[in-house]
Amino acid sequence: MSGKPYSNPYLAGFGLGLVLLAAFVAMGRGLGASGAFASAAAAAVATAAPKSASANDYFARYLSASGAPRIDWLVVELIGVVIGGFVSAILAGRFRREIEKGPRISDSGRLRLAFLGGGVMGVGAVLARGCTSGQALTGGALLSVGSWIFIGAAFAAAYAAAPILKRAWT
Amino acid sequence: MIRASAVRLLAIGATSLGVLAAVAGSPRKDSSPSIDVAALARDVQTEADHVTAIELARWIRDRKPNLRIIDIRDSAEFARYHVPQAERLPIEEVVKASFNPGETIVLYSGGGAHAAQAWVLLRTRGEKNVFFLRGGVSEWLDEVMNPQAPAHLSGQARDEADSVAALSRYFGGVPRQVDSAVPIQSFKAATARVRGRGC
Amino acid sequence: MIAPFFESGLFSETASLAVALLIGIGFGWFLERSGMGSARKLAGQFYLRDLTVFKVMFTAIITAMLGVFWLGWAGVLDLDRIFVPETWILPQLAGGILFGIGFAISGLCPGTSCVAAATGRIDGVAVVVGMFSGVLVTGLFFTKLANFYLSTARGVFTLPQLFHVDQGVIVLAVVLLGVGGFQLAELIEKRSAGTSSE
Repeated sequence: MSGKPYSNPYLAGFGLGLVLLAAFVAMGRGLGASGAFASAAAAAVATAAPKSASANDYFARYLSASGAPRIDWLVVELIGVVIGGFVSAILAGRFRREIEKGPRISDSGRLRLAFLGGGVMGVGAVLARGCTSGQALTGGALLSVGSWIFIGAAFAAAYAAAPILKRAWT
Repeated sequence: MIRASAVRLLAIGATSLGVLAAVAGSPRKDSSPSIDVAALARDVQTEADHVTAIELARWIRDRKPNLRIIDIRDSAEFARYHVPQAERLPIEEVVKASFNPGETIVLYSGGGAHAAQAWVLLRTRGEKNVFFLRGGVSEWLDEVMNPQAPAHLSGQARDEADSVAALSRYFGGVPRQVDSAVPIQSFKAATARVRGRGC
Repeated sequence: MIAPFFESGLFSETASLAVALLIGIGFGWFLERSGMGSARKLAGQFYLRDLTVFKVMFTAIITAMLGVFWLGWAGVLDLDRIFVPETWILPQLAGGILFGIGFAISGLCPGTSCVAAATGRIDGVAVVVGMFSGVLVTGLFFTKLANFYLSTARGVFTLPQLFHVDQGVIVLAVVLLGVGGFQLAELIEKRSAGTSSE
């Protein structure tokens, strides 16, 4: 495999923790990712069918008072994530146009699983009010009970589902 | 390898900071916004919030360790009369004072209302070993300094009355029997001077 | 008490978006640095081959948690002005289960899928599109979920409140859980490397 080896996970985790802390100190809020997806979905619905967007209890909160899409803090943050990840990969020679998968699954099979998994995570993130960034990292650090329930449930479910998906990775 | 020792340093640092955090308890030093109203209400209901004058007197006589008796009245009232070993702290100072973990704090005022308020304030500030004298100085004077008991008592009632009388005398008080020849009025007059305004 | 700076009025709404960008860059940087942009590496967590996910996440949680506690204790950070995610017990339990299943199926999560896509991985793009679709569909059918979504609300509900102990006690418990977990993780990875043919 090309590119430099990855950083020590504990040191990288420490750096990530400091970034999260910086968010608390600067903004009084933590990180997030799924919220940006909700903003994007709300913006899409608002563009296609403005009236139903404002009438929708879930999407309405991601829109401005007039029903127009607005630039959410999380959307800008996620743009930063893309930039940060890109720069890091380029500097380490790890940028590769590829489909990461195991040897026994086809490209299209892997992409279908990726899409399906993303969809299921989308439903889960709506119900849980967040994902690994917003709930596990942020809520976890702030000791929220619901976030820790999310962490336990997500890890347990992933471990339970993993054996069924072995074919995709090994 | 530098990285391995950096990781080890992080682990030691995190563990130390974690242990210190447990020792520190709460990061908030002022009154926590999460006031456990239910717990406070429960203490009021079960009467775990106050002590009687008799109980306080026994604590003083038995030299209960780390006992702090705090008079929250003004200095004139305090000078006229105060419970033995009491220290004077106005309510605004009380809520700013820091108490040691092992101390038992008993608050009192003239009639008890202000002391009860101070109790709520100290409890919301996180102090746990706090009580107030429900009847205030008035109760102390009535129950400890001038306790009255019926003359014709027997058995357990007699023993309790004797115990209270002995307690009273310890503090230089004058126990009385109700149907004695000496009218009660004179004692009330004597203590009225001491009682001040109350509350 | 001056922090959180935005809450103290130190900078404007527009400036906060600049902060968002910087924070995001840092976020994406450390995710990529640790290999969390690689679905293969993430999947390794669930086959006990490569426990990087656990190490990175828990180290981050512990770091931020200790930072919040001690900056709060020092009077620098006003803990009451930090937005703490609220608790809805059943929806977050169900959401967590679904999320975990989706994570196992796709090998990425919302944040890391963006990093994967940014570093050329097509499967990352697929997860992004899938997430978008999932959130969109769920939002469109929201009225059917609304009752469940709003059930078992507990408001801001923290572990110290749940266990009726001081915050510092929970902080120590999480640190010990992490440190113990890391040692276990190292053991598991060594054994897994020993038994595999790679």
